[in-house]
Amino acid sequence: MRDATYHEPTTLDDALKMLDQYGDDAQVIAGGTGLILGMKQGLPSAPHIVGLRKIPGLSTISKRADGGLDIGALATHRQIETSAEMAEYCSAFARSFAWLSTIRIRNMGTIGGNLVEGNPSYDPPPVLMALGAQVVLASGGGERTVALDDFFVGVGRTACRRGEILTRVVLPPLPATVKLGYSKFRSRSVADSPTVAVAAAVDLDGDRIVRGARIVLGAAGPVPLRARKAEAAIENQELTTSSIGEAAALAREEAQPVRDLRGSAEYKRDMVAVFVQSTLEDLARDGISNGR
Amino acid sequence: MAAEASVSSPIGTPVPRVEGKEKVTGQAKYTADYTLPGMLWGAILHSTIPHGRIVRIDTSKARAVPGVHAVLTGQDIGEVRFGRALADIPVLAYDRVRYVGEPLVAVAAEGRDVAKEAVALIEVEYEELAAVFDPFEAMKPEAPLLHPQLAEYRWGGQKRGSNAADADGHFHVLETRGRNVVSYELESKGDVEQGFREADLVLEHTYRTSIIHQSYIEPHTCLVSAEPDGKARIWASNKSPFTIRDYLAIDLDLPDKDIIFEPTWVGGDYGGKGSPLPIPIAYFLSKASGRPVKVVWDLAAEFIAANPRHATWITIRSGLKRDGRIVAREVKMVADSGAYAGYKPIPGAVIVGSHNALGVYKTPHARFECSIVYTNHVPAGHMRSPGSYQSAWACEADIDRLAEAVGMDPIEFRLLNGVEEGDEGPLGEPWSSVHLKDCLEAVRAASGWDQPKPPNVGRGVALAQDRTGSGASTAQVEVDANGRVTLRTTVMDQGAGMLTVLAQIVAHELQLPVESVNVEVMSTQAELYDWGSSALSVTHAAGQAALGAVVAAREKLAAVACEMFDCQPEEVELADGVFRGPPHPLPPDGEGSGRGVSLAEVAGRACVGGEPVVGHCRYDGWKRHYGAAFSAQVAEVEVDPRTGQVKVRRIVNAADVGTLLNPIGATGQMEGATIVALGHTTMEELRLADGRVQNTSLREYKVPTSGDLPAIENILIHGHGGGPGPYGSKTVADLALIVGPAAITNAIHDAIGERFDELPITAEKVYRALKAREVTSEA
Repeated sequence: MRDATYHEPTTLDDALKMLDQYGDDAQVIAGGTGLILGMKQGLPSAPHIVGLRKIPGLSTISKRADGGLDIGALATHRQIETSAEMAEYCSAFARSFAWLSTIRIRNMGTIGGNLVEGNPSYDPPPVLMALGAQVVLASGGGERTVALDDFFVGVGRTACRRGEILTRVVLPPLPATVKLGYSKFRSRSVADSPTVAVAAAVDLDGDRIVRGARIVLGAAGPVPLRARKAEAAIENQELTTSSIGEAAALAREEAQPVRDLRGSAEYKRDMVAVFVQSTLEDLARDGISNGR
Repeated sequence: MAAEASVSSPIGTPVPRVEGKEKVTGQAKYTADYTLPGMLWGAILHSTIPHGRIVRIDTSKARAVPGVHAVLTGQDIGEVRFGRALADIPVLAYDRVRYVGEPLVAVAAEGRDVAKEAVALIEVEYEELAAVFDPFEAMKPEAPLLHPQLAEYRWGGQKRGSNAADADGHFHVLETRGRNVVSYELESKGDVEQGFREADLVLEHTYRTSIIHQSYIEPHTCLVSAEPDGKARIWASNKSPFTIRDYLAIDLDLPDKDIIFEPTWVGGDYGGKGSPLPIPIAYFLSKASGRPVKVVWDLAAEFIAANPRHATWITIRSGLKRDGRIVAREVKMVADSGAYAGYKPIPGAVIVGSHNALGVYKTPHARFECSIVYTNHVPAGHMRSPGSYQSAWACEADIDRLAEAVGMDPIEFRLLNGVEEGDEGPLGEPWSSVHLKDCLEAVRAASGWDQPKPPNVGRGVALAQDRTGSGASTAQVEVDANGRVTLRTTVMDQGAGMLTVLAQIVAHELQLPVESVNVEVMSTQAELYDWGSSALSVTHAAGQAALGAVVAAREKLAAVACEMFDCQPEEVELADGVFRGPPHPLPPDGEGSGRGVSLAEVAGRACVGGEPVVGHCRYDGWKRHYGAAFSAQVAEVEVDPRTGQVKVRRIVNAADVGTLLNPIGATGQMEGATIVALGHTTMEELRLADGRVQNTSLREYKVPTSGDLPAIENILIHGHGGGPGPYGSKTVADLALIVGPAAITNAIHDAIGERFDELPITAEKVYRALKAREVTSEA
């Protein structure tokens, strides 16, 4: 682990100035669960580490005027898991955080740090994408808002540029008719990254016709993937065994998994189909999935 | 005199760990916690290729880093090889590297980061050589020969270069078995070919197990100080100080008493902490720099360069009568040694427990052979039940096939063929204290074996026995003038709870509470020889040594009590910490009669001139003891047919421990072994591709966590003795590990009708088997 200078600015402006000042020599630290691990493993790290935790307000979870939700980038996973605002907004989303890694990591890791790491196997990205989340990126030049759909660029790469800090996640208003499900398949230990993960948000009208759908695949490609063909297969029709089966088959084709110790690419494709199917079946049945 | 059985005896009662508080409160010191003045940190450059000649190593940039005190290559040290029975491991690769991860260059510097930085600046040029990773390929005549100088290494013997094996023609035997074979063993009884002719059915299957890492929390760590007087003082995460001291003395050419191991706690072992690993490197760094040197391996080094469990291929051929009786069984086993064999106690033992492949059945004709073969993989060593885990799994998975072939229930088949008291084992083992049926019937009853099951749920059974290990240990029990009792030992309690059992034995024999026994773990300088915490032998050997020592101390005290009571030794009794003499008329001075005298009071009188009363015992338990410790398990699993995932729902173990010494310890061992078995069966494997380990972190190498565990029930069968340990105790350590993998494998078959011949049985393997069946049935 290399020596580094740790900075702890107390305002966002100061933090952004430091990023400008040190350029490539600066790196932001939030909860540290990713960065510190990487440093211990000898991955390259910058000589200046800019800590965000002294900046007030960055960990707040609050209801938006439009009915949506703002989640501060420094909100920990545990905070989200146990937040009343979060539970009121979408209890299935809050519950999905209970499966994230271990309690130690949930107590330290933050939502902002998690997203900026750009790891396609992490739990929050697919769930947030299924809900249509956006992220706010601040820089010396102001703020910009990026849809999470466009945020992930490759393994470990995101739209967050040098000099920018992800300050919050914005969730849109969620109609009561939208149901969210998240399935995380761990083929080895429960304390493992998912073999595949599936998040699905489905807006069902009174006649159980799908008005809109977002199906996102985790651990099935270089970035969390929208399975758009699968979404199209269930939109504007009733969720039936046949439409769900078609969506599962299409998602299987849309997935881009790679072989690792959790399974071959072919197996993971099959598992994408299995979990798209079971997630949608659960939503069709009772609206909320908590399957493994 | 004898200690009276008393209600307050700690033997058989749930005594908590003597070191528990120290560990839980963080006071226990592990090797990494020790620091010496002027201490440097060592770091190691590992080979990046599986096989090659070293052309050039440029260390100039590393040497120029400020704070670097020593940089050593194999050429600097010379061709120094070490090993347990076969000294084939170079301290640092000398002229070639034989696996990815082999230590190549070592640096000592002021600070761990400085040492690592220097290591990163070393340039190595290799001439790559053809590598071989499959032991069957390695045995072919055209395979690269990995150790052309095999016959020149120290093999057994007492001196460098001496060769005990050569004399008995061992090399000649190896040459006939194939290229790169480093160990071969053949044992047989009867005539298997005759047996197969007599059989109505002959079945043959091959079973495969993977390389597995022990996954202890504390990686290999040592602190070595090569001192000006020539002595080496060592703190190390290690469980066999004397064994390692003795062979390092030979291979480093030092008097054995000049190698001093200081006691430290060991942060997990699981069989993997019995080899020196970085100790010789740290020794040479310390010698070169004139400073103490600490080496703490990181986990990546553990996964690529420690001493994991052997991968094996086990072919079992069985001959059966139609009525289910076994007539003949033949086992051919091949184990992947990896690049070196020095971590194994060969020759003399293959991987010790491999005979379990023949099981616990009446077998008129049996044959067992095992070859261990060099490859360009990480060198294998020991892990809990080396050989036994692999072979007991293969045997018991195979037994279920035999039962199926004759249409019998797996438990009934085992009862029909299982040995009874008086029967000999497959290779003629004269087993005694045979409680096979008790174990099987206990798990049958407790598991609901015959109860209906939901779809995709299955139950499987397995049965095995372990032989309580041989070993040697020494103990000293001291009672001072105030009656304070101290047990001195050199046993390294790597977490299994031995020190607690030793304290229980001393407390029981002196009729004192366990808390009043002070346990001191000594440096090797105390010369209390202990063979090491290995091979299911610790409670046996160290327990008997403690028992002998405490009895010797007690006899000395009793003799003094006799004087006080003016009676014969057999008339003295000790109960609840009080000596009592016989009731007889008062002697003239009235002392000692008709009353009890506390142990402290007797001790006060016995400690003439303040010298404590000392009992000393060296116990050598090398004679093979055949008091068998049987165990059985029923596993209940549920298979998810969509994913192939196996969920173990419930485990019921029954184990014969002879005499129960500590129910907390025994149950803890059973639970731990059950969890290891679960991991080995469903998820654990060191995955190698072209000799490179693919999973070098615990993020990628998975072991079970609490969230993966089923309900575990343990039935301990005891009260009849029959083992070589204190009070007739038998081994308990791995009784659940040797049955667990087969019970789960057989349960998966019961659930979905598919057999698996390769561990681990991953979700994908199960899924593919189910898929293949779907395709077949559609066709």
